[in-house]
Amino acid sequence: MSHVVIDLKASLKTFWRDKSTIFWTLAFPTILILLFGAIFSQSSMRYDLYVQNQDLTDGKATYWSDSLITVLNSTNAFNIHMVDASVNGTDYALANRLSSMLIVPSGFNTSANIALYTHGAVTANVTFVYDQSTSSAPVVQSIVMSIIDKLNFELSKGVEYFSIQDLTIAPKRFGFIDFFIPGVIGMTAMTTSIFTSVSISARFKQNGIFHKLATTPLKRYEWILSRTIYNVLISYLGMAVMMLMGMAIFGMKMTLDAVSLLMVAMASLMFTGLGMIIARFVKDPDGADAAANVVTFPMMFLSGTFFQLSQMPQFLQTIAQVLPLTYVSEGLRAAMIFGQAQQAILNTALITALGIASIIVGSLITKWEED
Amino acid sequence: MRHYEGISLGNSIAIEVQELTKRYGELIAVNGISFTVNRGEIFAFLGPNGAGKTTTVEILECLRRPTSGKAYVLGFDITKHQPEIKKRTGVLPQDFYTYERLTVKETIQYYAGMFDSRPDVDELIRLVDLEDKKNVLFRNLSGGLKQRLGIAVALVNDPELVFLDEPSSGLDPKARHGVWHLIDGLHKKGKTVFLTTHYMEEAEILADRVGIIHNGRIVALDSPERLISEHGKRNLLILKKTSPKAVPNIEKLGIKANYDKTTSDVTVHLNHAVAVSEILHTLSNTDIPFGELQLKRSSLEDVFLNLTGVSLGEEESGI
Ligand SMILES: Nc1ncnc2c1ncn2[C@@H]1O[C@H](COP(=O)(O)OP(=O)(O)O)[C@@H](O)[C@H]1O
Ligand SMILES: [Mg+2]
Repeated sequence: MSHVVIDLKASLKTFWRDKSTIFWTLAFPTILILLFGAIFSQSSMRYDLYVQNQDLTDGKATYWSDSLITVLNSTNAFNIHMVDASVNGTDYALANRLSSMLIVPSGFNTSANIALYTHGAVTANVTFVYDQSTSSAPVVQSIVMSIIDKLNFELSKGVEYFSIQDLTIAPKRFGFIDFFIPGVIGMTAMTTSIFTSVSISARFKQNGIFHKLATTPLKRYEWILSRTIYNVLISYLGMAVMMLMGMAIFGMKMTLDAVSLLMVAMASLMFTGLGMIIARFVKDPDGADAAANVVTFPMMFLSGTFFQLSQMPQFLQTIAQVLPLTYVSEGLRAAMIFGQAQQAILNTALITALGIASIIVGSLITKWEED
Repeated sequence: MRHYEGISLGNSIAIEVQELTKRYGELIAVNGISFTVNRGEIFAFLGPNGAGKTTTVEILECLRRPTSGKAYVLGFDITKHQPEIKKRTGVLPQDFYTYERLTVKETIQYYAGMFDSRPDVDELIRLVDLEDKKNVLFRNLSGGLKQRLGIAVALVNDPELVFLDEPSSGLDPKARHGVWHLIDGLHKKGKTVFLTTHYMEEAEILADRVGIIHNGRIVALDSPERLISEHGKRNLLILKKTSPKAVPNIEKLGIKANYDKTTSDVTVHLNHAVAVSEILHTLSNTDIPFGELQLKRSSLEDVFLNLTGVSLGEEESGI
């Protein structure tokens, strides 16, 4: 274990003395955030909300269903798209690959009236259909829910029964920066881990450091452990810097919980292993950096770091579904911003599994000695 | 011979190699070599690039696996007791390199930590004469200083046996002499040193015994003096700053001579001492001038040439 500590200390010292590494790990994402933050922070994001109102009389929306939709619209959180009442809602959502859809069932108006007169003995339900794998669905759901909560609360207080139109609900609205910062944290964990791992593996092989290390009692797994911990620490450092910026400059509210910490560590583990795998197949350090770029660049842009996945063309969304960074970013968003515990845990579990698998494969194929 | 694995004390043999072979696909880099290295001696492998020196040394360092044959280092089988061997040996790899952004002192401490040993770091730094560089980063050291640091690093575990793969390769003469001085110091401390080199002078000056290796085979193995007296039959006479006309005059005596245009020297390989007086006598009867007369004794260079038919220098420049 002492070997791990000694090697870790040496690599942290090296990090501190290498200004260009510090720049790429910290300054680059910082600049990115400031730049994108400044461009996009004015316009808060609107989500697409598909609504099917089945509660119609003579083809016209009933009072309560109409009121609900009006309230949803008035929050400015959504671009509302109405779906024809005659189609099957779930089928329609599937066929059109909607990430979510709100269905106001027929009888909603009656239920609402009964709910009102019985003070909640019966509730008027709406159905929220969504695709769990997308990032926007939970957000949309949480906004809709908060609006309905607010509506219920207002009504059950017994005052302002009819002032629904005036309801100025301030649902949790998310801006671009809320979306962006967790993405950049994930991205930094990726670039730091892959680049460090690839270039160190390739350079140490070429310049003979592995060779020298192999003549000492240092074990390969000790070295890999130390370098993985190093990558995790640097990813945490990036995370801390970006969170502080988000909070200090953009006034964000972010949660730092065990899940998000685990996610960053496991993402780092996964990309460290991936870096080792890449390094195994390149001849020299320059090739290694190029290969690392080939892997990280598409992931950066296709994993919903900069743009929401739902705003991208369908085929790119399909690609995003197989890129691990997508799950890192979405998991981090779910944990740090949207408070979607279930999605955060699911994504983290997936990345943990991938991380362990990738570090094991990476360790097995990394050689210090020639045959 | 018996091998007391794990207990090497009292054994006078540091390395024993039997029929060692290493193939890389079709290429036979090391071809069935056998030799022993005694404790406390400086043993040199002398041979041109590609001879199989590094391959052999790295097999002994447990970095490469032999294709066949056996080898014991400090009594330990290299295929079975690698941790024991690594603990007790020090290695200066060919083209030593380490973390660019650690200082001399930090580098020594780092490797000491890897061996779980606590050497006197300042003493090691003094030994390799890097006291005024101890806070300089590795990347800012010159080639000779890097190499000296590499030797210090090879000593952090106070090894019984030190492997030095081309310790002075690529260094200028001054730096090279510094390294030689260091190696001589190790010898005086009673360490066993196995070094490889393609500089015959290095082997001749430092080594107690020299193995001449060519195309993966040991073509001769003995002390430099005996190698020279047995295989370096020819002494060399050099006539400095003379004219090409000296050549036909000397060759009339049935002795081969060569004229070098760039230096305008004539070199003569002598077979017996008598020839010198004959040559001088012949030349004194002509008006051929010459600046200076040098008599060079045979060196390992000639031994190599005699044994392999190629010169060390020629092969080297071909790489
Ligand atoms: N890993 C390797 N794979 C294939 N061939 C190798 C490898 N290492 C060395 N060789 C070849 O083996 C021969 C001996 O090399 P080496 O032991 O490095 O010689 P030296 O150290 O005497 O210069 C050379 O022809 C070299 O090209
Ligand atoms: Mg070599």
